[in-house]
Order: sequence, then structure tokens, then C-alpha cells
Amino acid sequence: MEYFYTVVILMALYVILAASFNFVIGYGGLVSIAHPVFYAIGAYASALLARDMGVPVILAILAGGLIALLASVALALSSLRVSGDYLLIGSIGFQLGTLEVIKNLHWTGGAGGLSNIPSFLTQTLGPQAYVAFAVAVAMCTVLLLRWIAHGPYGRAMSAMRDDELAFAALGRNAMVMKITIFALGSGLAGLAGGIYAHYFRFIAPGQFDLLQSSALLTMVVVGGLRSTWGPIVGAIALEALPQAITFINLPPSVLGPLQGILFTSLVLIFMFVRPQGLIAASARWRGRQEEAR
Amino acid sequence: MQTGLKVTNLCKRFGGIVVADAIDLDVPAGRIVGLIGPNGAGKTSFFNLVSGVVAPDAGQVMLDGEDVTGLKMAERARRGLARTWQNLRLFPSLSVLDNLLIGTRDYPGERLSRLALQSGRIARDETQDRLKALDVLERIGLAGIAHTDIVNVPYGQQKLIGVARALMNDPRCLLLDEPMAGVEGQAYRTLQSVVRGLAASGVAVCVVEHNVAFIRDLCNEGVFMFAGKVLARGDVESLVADPRLTELYFGT
Repeated sequence: MEYFYTVVILMALYVILAASFNFVIGYGGLVSIAHPVFYAIGAYASALLARDMGVPVILAILAGGLIALLASVALALSSLRVSGDYLLIGSIGFQLGTLEVIKNLHWTGGAGGLSNIPSFLTQTLGPQAYVAFAVAVAMCTVLLLRWIAHGPYGRAMSAMRDDELAFAALGRNAMVMKITIFALGSGLAGLAGGIYAHYFRFIAPGQFDLLQSSALLTMVVVGGLRSTWGPIVGAIALEALPQAITFINLPPSVLGPLQGILFTSLVLIFMFVRPQGLIAASARWRGRQEEAR
Repeated sequence: MQTGLKVTNLCKRFGGIVVADAIDLDVPAGRIVGLIGPNGAGKTSFFNLVSGVVAPDAGQVMLDGEDVTGLKMAERARRGLARTWQNLRLFPSLSVLDNLLIGTRDYPGERLSRLALQSGRIARDETQDRLKALDVLERIGLAGIAHTDIVNVPYGQQKLIGVARALMNDPRCLLLDEPMAGVEGQAYRTLQSVVRGLAASGVAVCVVEHNVAFIRDLCNEGVFMFAGKVLARGDVESLVADPRLTELYFGT
């Protein structure tokens, strides 16, 4: 049963990560790979606040999200000022650099990881409560992002993605909008990080590396860019898949690389065969009212 | 103060190419001024400088007495400076109506914080803007295709929609970049009457157009540009008749 809870919590967390990543690269058109780093920043910030400074866990998780949000604004401000392409380059550097810093700091636990993170809910109300908590946050995330994407803000995001120059010439502030999208998406990833940290109670830099970036990208691309349900399907399917493989009793030395190969080939196959993903988003932006009609 | 657009000593060079050479030009409120001249004369560059796409090396752009030279493109638009584009630049993933809504001067859903805190007010503003957009579409005779995807609209109608999107701004100054290229028949007359109506309501209108007949029908006066300079200004008839200018235009 413990195993089942763990898988459901991981699925919920990947739903948050994939949905928020889809918000950034799909709806926002902001190509970044650093999403797992904001997940890491949220996890570390929340863990350290709760463990070393005695902050109540629920506040620490929220603070973790906020700190990830602020870090993303710093990255966005410096790279988006030049041009959108620099965000990708900046994000690669940020991803590698931040993990390197975490590995070499004393108070983050270094490469060995951070342990003894205070638990939350599991010891008082049982693991089911934590499952409910994670699933609830995931659902709220999906609904929030869907609400934004299908309202007036979503219309503006589509227009900005289509033609930034025309968008700005109509009086719209593209820069503020991009930073907002990036900050919100990254903040949600940070929130997921805190939820991860206080359940597993151990985090290490290796859990947030480039393999995570590729896993998230796979979830979004395979699920369907710019659709509400696509990243959810992608996250659940691709979280279930590696779990399923572990039942085939392969040695761990094969399992790890196999996952990487699986994710990469899935992205390639989908790019060629079904670029719209499992759940295709409409080519055209549709608002709430029009769906109701 | 309704003085329209006033440009003084506007200069811009890209490397060795001078696109604006000390341009002095004013478009008074309520007037329609046509820019004519051969390709490469600097007409579109002039629009890009005025609307803020590129920053000038020197000079000043005034809108109704206010200096907007230091302002970004979006801020100029928010002060009532609207433009269209030679290559339209509509938003392909939006419907006709949604394309227009993005052009609202104070777009209600632009800030996420406002969306969260004042969603009721934004919904009301959106409803009003929708009605306004439908009204603008009615004026150009395209209300029937409001909910069509923009990519399924014929080119001639897309040109009108480009103008309609600029009208959502309630501009004080409107820059039209080759509005007639590819437009025929009914759309031609519609565009003429819409632009005349705007000028009558006090908007300063500046049109770049190769269709001399359109310019002659529409504009109060014409400005002949060549190599980034304003060479002549006067009524369109006399500019077209000037053999000196005709020679420059056709390069004979």
C-alpha cells in the first residue's frame, strides 16, 4: 500500500510539474529547460526552512514556491531582456549552475543530499492524508492554469506567441506578460518541490538533473502541448511506465539508462508521428464563452 | 490639445543607409496625409520610427503636443497612436473578433493580478469591448464573420480587419501602411469611407500607398518622400503632375 501511495503522490507532483511546464513553454512560448531547478529550489528552500529554522511545514512549502518564483524572475529579467532565445541558453546555465552550487554548499547537504526533512500529515493523519493533499494541489493547479488559459489572459498569451511585435504595437506589454507566465509556472514547480521534500524526507541534487528536464518535456510533448488534459495524461502515463518496467526485474544498471532512452525515443516518435501529442489542442484559441456556446 | 502628429528633425541611419534624413512632417488632427515615393524612400521606416518599432538617432515625435520620442511602442499605442502593417501581422491562432479585442487600448485581461482580484469588472469590460468590436466590424461590413478563424478569411478582408484592429484603440493618430494592396471592389469603398469618417471625427491619419488613385481620392494632401527626405508637399494632383517627382518615382 505504501508503494501505491508513493506512486500516486509522484503522479500528482508530475501533474503539477507538467501542467506548469506546459503553461510556460506551450501557452507562453517560452523555451526553457530549467523547470526541474525551480522544483529543486522549492524543495530545498522548504526543507531547510522547516528543518533548520523551525518554520511550520505548510508555510515552508508556500515559501518554497515563492522563493522559486523569485528565482525565476531573476533568470527571466536577465535573459528575456535580450531576446527569447537567450532564455533557453540562460536556462541551461541556470540548471547546471544551480545544481553545482547545491552540490558544493555545506548547508544544503552537498552532493550527498539533505536528509531528516520534517514530515507533514503522514505521521499525524496517515499517508492517505498526504496523498489527498498532493492530489488536491495538483487539481487546483490544473484548474487554475486552465482558467487563466481560457480567459482574456489566455487570448493575450496566444496573440503574444503569434506575433510579439504586433502585440506590443497594440499597446500590450509583452515583457511583463512573459515574466509573469514564467514566474507563475516556476512558482508552481517550487510548490511541487516542497510537497516532494516533506513526503520523501530526503532530497539530493541528482534528483533534479537534466534527465528530469527531458522527462518533463516528454510528458508535455507526448501528452499534448497547449492542451489542458495533455500534460496530465502525459505525466500519469510516463510516471506509470517506468514503474511498470521495474516489474520486469532488470538490473538497476540497465533500468536507469533505459528510462532515458525511453523518454528520448518517445519525444522523437511523437515529434514525427503525432506532433500534437496524445490530446491535441485546438489550433485556435477558444475562450470560456465560446466553449459554452 | 488636438494638434495631431508632429515630427521634427527625425534622423535614422542603418550603417551607411539613411532611412530618415532630418524629416519634418506634421499631420494635423482631422487631416489625411498621403506618403508617396518609390520603394526604399523611407515611408515604412518613417512609420516604424513614429510608432516606436525603431528608435531614431535624433529628432522628436509629438502626439497632440506631448513628446512621445522616449516612449516604447506599447506606451505610444496606449496614448492613442495606432498603426497597421504592410504584411498585416494578424494573430493566426485567434478568431476575427479576438484579433480585434487584443487591440483594445486598455485591454482588461492583460494583468494576471487584476484578473484574480477584479474578475467581475474585467468580465464587464470584456462584454463592452466585444460589443465595440462587433460595432467596428459592422462598420467595415464584416460583422458576419466575427467568429471565423482569421486564417480562413480571404486576404482582402484580412486587410480590413487589420485596420479594424487599429480602430479598437480609438486612435488620435492612425498610420496606415499600404492599406489598399490586394483590396478591390466593395472593400475599397468601405475603407475610404471608414478613413474619411475617422478624420472627420478629429483623428490625424497618415497613409503610405502606391495606389495613386486611392491617395488622390482620399487624402487632403500628399507628401513626396525620396531617400529618407521629404521632397515636396502639396495637393496630390500637383505632386503626381510634377515631372521632376515622376522621374524620381520611376527612376527614368
